[in-house]
Amino acid sequence: MSKAVKQGILGLALVFPAFLLLCLVVIVPILLAINESLKDDQGNYSLQSYQTLFTDKVMAGNIWFTLKLTVISVVLVLLISYALAVYMRFSGGPIVAGIRKMYMIPIFIPSVIASYGIINMYGNHGWLSRLLLPFGIETIPRIIFDYKGIILANLWFNIPFTTMLLTSALAGIPNSVIESAKDVGAGRLNIFFKLIVPLSYRTMLVAVTFSFMGIIGGFTAPFLIGPNSPQVLGVAMRQVFSVYQETQLASATAVFMFVLCSVMGYFYIRTMIKDDKASMH
Amino acid sequence: MVTRKKRLGMALASVLVLSALAGCGDKAVSGTGGDGKGKPDEMQFYFTGSLNVKELWETLVPMFEKANPNVKVKLVYIDSGSGGQSTFDRIMAAKQAGQKSGNIDLYESSLSDLTKGMKSDLWASFDNSKIPNLSKIDPNNLKNLNGAGIPYRASAVILAYNSAKVATPPKTADELYDWIRKHPGRFAYNDPATGGSGDSFVQTAIYNFLPPEASTSQDPAIMKQWDKGFALLKELHPYMYQKGVYPKKNQGTLDLMANGEVDIIPAWSDMALEQISKKVLPDTTKLTQINPSFTGGPTYLMAPKLSEHLDSVAAFLNFVLTPEAQTVIVNKMYGYPGIKWSEMPKELQDKFKDVAGGYRTFNLGDLGKEIQKRWQQDVAGGQ
Repeated sequence: MSKAVKQGILGLALVFPAFLLLCLVVIVPILLAINESLKDDQGNYSLQSYQTLFTDKVMAGNIWFTLKLTVISVVLVLLISYALAVYMRFSGGPIVAGIRKMYMIPIFIPSVIASYGIINMYGNHGWLSRLLLPFGIETIPRIIFDYKGIILANLWFNIPFTTMLLTSALAGIPNSVIESAKDVGAGRLNIFFKLIVPLSYRTMLVAVTFSFMGIIGGFTAPFLIGPNSPQVLGVAMRQVFSVYQETQLASATAVFMFVLCSVMGYFYIRTMIKDDKASMH
Repeated sequence: MVTRKKRLGMALASVLVLSALAGCGDKAVSGTGGDGKGKPDEMQFYFTGSLNVKELWETLVPMFEKANPNVKVKLVYIDSGSGGQSTFDRIMAAKQAGQKSGNIDLYESSLSDLTKGMKSDLWASFDNSKIPNLSKIDPNNLKNLNGAGIPYRASAVILAYNSAKVATPPKTADELYDWIRKHPGRFAYNDPATGGSGDSFVQTAIYNFLPPEASTSQDPAIMKQWDKGFALLKELHPYMYQKGVYPKKNQGTLDLMANGEVDIIPAWSDMALEQISKKVLPDTTKLTQINPSFTGGPTYLMAPKLSEHLDSVAAFLNFVLTPEAQTVIVNKMYGYPGIKWSEMPKELQDKFKDVAGGYRTFNLGDLGKEIQKRWQQDVAGGQ
């Protein structure tokens, strides 16, 4: 055999264990879930589970609730993270240094503990409402056991990582570009939308993809903080699987979520590939 | 996200390793030799539940082995919620394959597993000649069992109330519903799919409208008679905590009680008593039962018929039903003894008198899930 062929075989041999692991841990479970979701109660193949998933009032309500929650959360995470990243990148002083040191903390706090903290802070008669008592505010809107509580938790969990990504992207933008734009009279908004966003939007897409996937599949915070109905799909899926023991419907829900994440992933990959081709010329 | 995923993987791996170690853990051999009959007879005891159940058996088994040097009990603990069902399936599969008992000699589980196994003639039958202490059990708890299951302890859902706010707690179910209407926002029960105390409140609200025999029927036709119960639950919905919030898990409502958010909740007697004793719940918290009562029931010990160690199992079961062992069970589990209260020491009878008033045992089978589904749609979903 030629040397090139030998090296090719060696490369494949080295990659094979990881590929095998990927097959067993990811691909096989996905195929099993798809297979399970296509069976009805008698074990025959049919689309009964998907029909139930999209037409049952409870499950349809859960789907819409989850999608709305995810979109709103991703948008808010992006806005806040961009603001933080821009502020840290283009401003100085002790406040910036403080934020830079602290904004990563939520990444290292487990979600159960963070959920508990959020419950104590924003709950009925929680710390926040006690702090506001001296100002004459007797009650605050319901946040815990409500849609708003889950959004708060999603912000807590996702802002640090998104901010970290965007900060690293903004670090690649030279100061001279910004200064040149200022010299020709561009305002702040113009600089942001015409220079900063175009130069960092690929990283923004990465951040959007990761936030979307993390939020749509969330369980712990929505379970503890969210409303009883409608529920996010992760909580509903566990209830259908563990409590009702309807594995076909649970599998259909899982496949549906997987498809949503795949669409996001595909969109992101396609954009990246297109840009790579464009930048070669 | 990468960091989070990595840590999650590490955490999962750690949990798996710890679970495996817990499952494989072997008790230290105690007092070999003794009467010189040779190697002790070893039986394997599979049980599931929370940490307190594990600690209970780790206390009782050494007591038993000390008094019975010729028997060794190997504990196999299955973490709560992670595969208890597989133990039952394993016993069933072993019987179908004619493979004795699959090395499971004793199994702790619920009434539903017991009745499922009885249909398949899975369990060994014990009587007074083998277990003399069976005479200490309330005969009602042994009805229909044919000696197949030993109800060694029990827990029940009761009302926990803040006596500083509620001077006279409701005595009947109707009084409770009236109290809820008159005190909006001061009562809560948990999402019935996430904990048995809320589930009991929901089930009793429905079945209190039905004749008593309905509570052990698993005929789907009975679902048509649930309308009155669900209408009541929907009517009470806006009077619940924060106009209709149902916390997750049994602990969720106990937390509300601890924080003074609500004044009355249904709660498991063992959880409430334990948390009162540990000062997690305020001293003003008291417990009571209503009439008709909430549900509850024994936890059973059952032995596969094909076990080769049934004599040792019988000796162990007889020990578990002694007042000494039951005292440990009641004190550790804060629950009901498996034997009659009159067989228990006087000070324990006094200590637990508030919750000794009894309970009902429902056996709805799969209908329990249908209730939860309909609750999710009709009550929580407001449809």
